[in-house]
Amino acid sequence: MSDLYREQLLEHYHEPQNYGVLPEADVDVQLDNPTCGDTIHLTARLDPEGRIAKVMFEGHGCVISMAAASMLTEDVVGKTPQEVAALELHDVEEMMGGLRLSMGRVKCALLAVNALKKGLRESGRL
Amino acid sequence: MTWNLEELRREFPILQQQVHGKRLVFLDSAASAQKPRAVIEALTTVYTTAYANVHRGLYSLAEAATAHYEEAREKIAHFIGASDPGELIYVRNATEALNLVAYAWGRKHITAGDRIVITEMEHHSNLVPWMMLAQERGAELAYLPVTAAGELELTALPPLLADGRTRVVAFTLMSNVLGTIPPAQELTAMAHAAGALVVADGAQAVPHLPVNVQTLGVDFLAFSGHKLGGPGIGALWGRRRLLEAMPPFLFGGDMILSVKKHSATWNELPYKFEAGTPAIAEAVGFGVAVDFLSALGMEAVQQHEQMLVAYALERLPEVPGLHILGPTHPHRGGAVSFWLEGIHPHDIASVLDSEGICIRAGLHCAEPLHARFGLPASARASFFIYNGTDDVDALVAGLQGVVKLLRR
Repeated sequence: MSDLYREQLLEHYHEPQNYGVLPEADVDVQLDNPTCGDTIHLTARLDPEGRIAKVMFEGHGCVISMAAASMLTEDVVGKTPQEVAALELHDVEEMMGGLRLSMGRVKCALLAVNALKKGLRESGRL
Repeated sequence: MTWNLEELRREFPILQQQVHGKRLVFLDSAASAQKPRAVIEALTTVYTTAYANVHRGLYSLAEAATAHYEEAREKIAHFIGASDPGELIYVRNATEALNLVAYAWGRKHITAGDRIVITEMEHHSNLVPWMMLAQERGAELAYLPVTAAGELELTALPPLLADGRTRVVAFTLMSNVLGTIPPAQELTAMAHAAGALVVADGAQAVPHLPVNVQTLGVDFLAFSGHKLGGPGIGALWGRRRLLEAMPPFLFGGDMILSVKKHSATWNELPYKFEAGTPAIAEAVGFGVAVDFLSALGMEAVQQHEQMLVAYALERLPEVPGLHILGPTHPHRGGAVSFWLEGIHPHDIASVLDSEGICIRAGLHCAEPLHARFGLPASARASFFIYNGTDDVDALVAGLQGVVKLLRR
């Protein structure tokens, strides 16, 4: 029915990976998208070398924002904060299986990565 | 008696295309309506035969452009029941019309301790200008509540009018979210009895039902041309004595009578409020759009859309977990908002798009109204003259598909 809502994406939406709150997190951040009501609470822990060790999220929103968050929690493990900061829309689209997002859906897909960047900045890792 | 839908659709070139290999089902006319061929051709005609700046040139081409521009003004004024075209000011859109009133009338008349009454169902364009004015002047902004059924809580108005502090009551003639048609004559009579002016937002009502400023008795009416099939332009109608007492909104060319180094005097109505080169071809197209609707008849337009609303209200509940916002009787406008349990409105719109169906998803520029219903967003299908029951059928089938795809 829709190219956008491919099976891989729907699986992440219906059964999100790393859903919940990480205890004793190094990064703990909340980000909202007021124009569509999407919210995300993201927690992350870094390993001794300063790389992302584990990310968890909770929140509610559309398929795109929630699937992107779920996929991000898997994709960023092992990355440095600088590598996370360098992630752009193109990288998120690749991470989501080569999706091409329409202009109106870009901010949905970027909610999680922007939350992680914000959290890394606020915790002094960036 | 309405029209032959297939014949009418052929007058709208954009509807002839396919989207993602499907027939285009356009259900977002409340945001902006599609344009009939007559309007599109009128723009071309202006630019190819009669374009020059208006009110300035002494050559015949400029006189022709001015004549077309002013003839359109007369048609638009007549369309809303105004007898004096000088009371009809061209603006960019209904938003600018409402800002004009809030600035030019509001800054002159609203002072500390005054009250401005609006409603919870206002579009941001009939809300934020009043909010800003109230903050600037130390005035109170009060809201007429919306009931759970999506109607205005009329009993809340008399207490807001009782102390004589209310200077203006501003409300929509048709909610762009709920489709609700407030009792405008009743509200106007109550406001006037308390010495308050009435500002009506006609952005949704003017394209979809007969609106007559004389019958309604309102003091200002804001509406847009692009929502009734015209180009990107709008209009403000106001009572001459009020407009004459107001200072200009924008300053510059054409709105001026005489300028000295340290003083200026203003042009007569309506030019006092039309600073700078206006949207000339768009104004002509606005007039043609009004002709197009007048030929169909606004009673027939309303009857057609009420038929569609009745059919949509009957069929939409077939979709499991669908909830309709606003009145569930058909005596309402053709903006039908709804939400689906467990599915974000953006996903509804994206999936429907793949079926060639255009709907709106989000807050529809009415955030306080969504907060009133505890919703982060909603989906909206809205009807116009070119929609038919086949569009409602496509919408319902599309929504069934959305549920099948996204709900587990």
